[in-house]
Amino acid sequence: MNRDTVKAFMAKQLNIPVTKLADESSNLTDLVHESFILIELVIALQEEFQVRLVQDDLQEVKSLGQLLDVLQKKKNN
Amino acid sequence: MKLSENDKWLLSFYRTSEISGALFFGRLARSLPAGPIQNDLTQHFADESAHSSYWTKCLNDLGENPIKISGAYQDMYIEAAGMPTNIMEILGITLIFEKRVIGQYAIHHQVQDLNPRIKTTLDTIMNDEKWHVQWVTDALKGLEKDYGEEQIKNTLKRYRDADQEVYKKTLAEHGERVEHILKGRLT
Repeated sequence: MNRDTVKAFMAKQLNIPVTKLADESSNLTDLVHESFILIELVIALQEEFQVRLVQDDLQEVKSLGQLLDVLQKKKNN
Repeated sequence: MKLSENDKWLLSFYRTSEISGALFFGRLARSLPAGPIQNDLTQHFADESAHSSYWTKCLNDLGENPIKISGAYQDMYIEAAGMPTNIMEILGITLIFEKRVIGQYAIHHQVQDLNPRIKTTLDTIMNDEKWHVQWVTDALKGLEKDYGEEQIKNTLKRYRDADQEVYKKTLAEHGERVEHILKGRLT
């Protein structure tokens, strides 16, 4: 799973330029201000990239980079 | 019969709660892929929306306007239990929330000399709510093959704990107000 592909998908979902996702240390809550949008995004990511996440997988996820790491790890398992 | 302040608060509380539910399920219905769960969730969303209209009409028929009540309980559930990340967890939170709502309506239904207009509205809505619990229960059963029975059981426990927390913080006011009506009408 290519990180840039995931970022491009996220940017489209969030309706923001992909350049806003360049810094992977960005907090997800700074990128997505409303919790419900984050829920929608996570569901869309699972559907698009055919991975299955549960709440425990995202317990420690705070930044964009961490989210990408989890998605990649799940995809490779 | 003129509505008491408690009656007015309770019916307005139900109206607000149904609106919050409709908004929550409407957004989910929009984001889920096509399939049976999307179908039922869309009907669920439509029901919640209709319920908020029933309560608004009920208040109006009784000569009152709804009181504005702040707070979206679904948000509090998410805050207490953490963000759901998949359809199983969303259905889990929904099941616990729907059971809480049915419980609240059932308690209100026990009030003696309940205004017939309120009773009719409660009866209509409770009928739908039973279907809500049923379809979500069935859908969760169907998801056991994907997530495993244990994972679903643990998720429901987490949301039940969150429900207790949210209840203590906010929803207890409903219980106190219904209790007040129950006592007042019984004595």
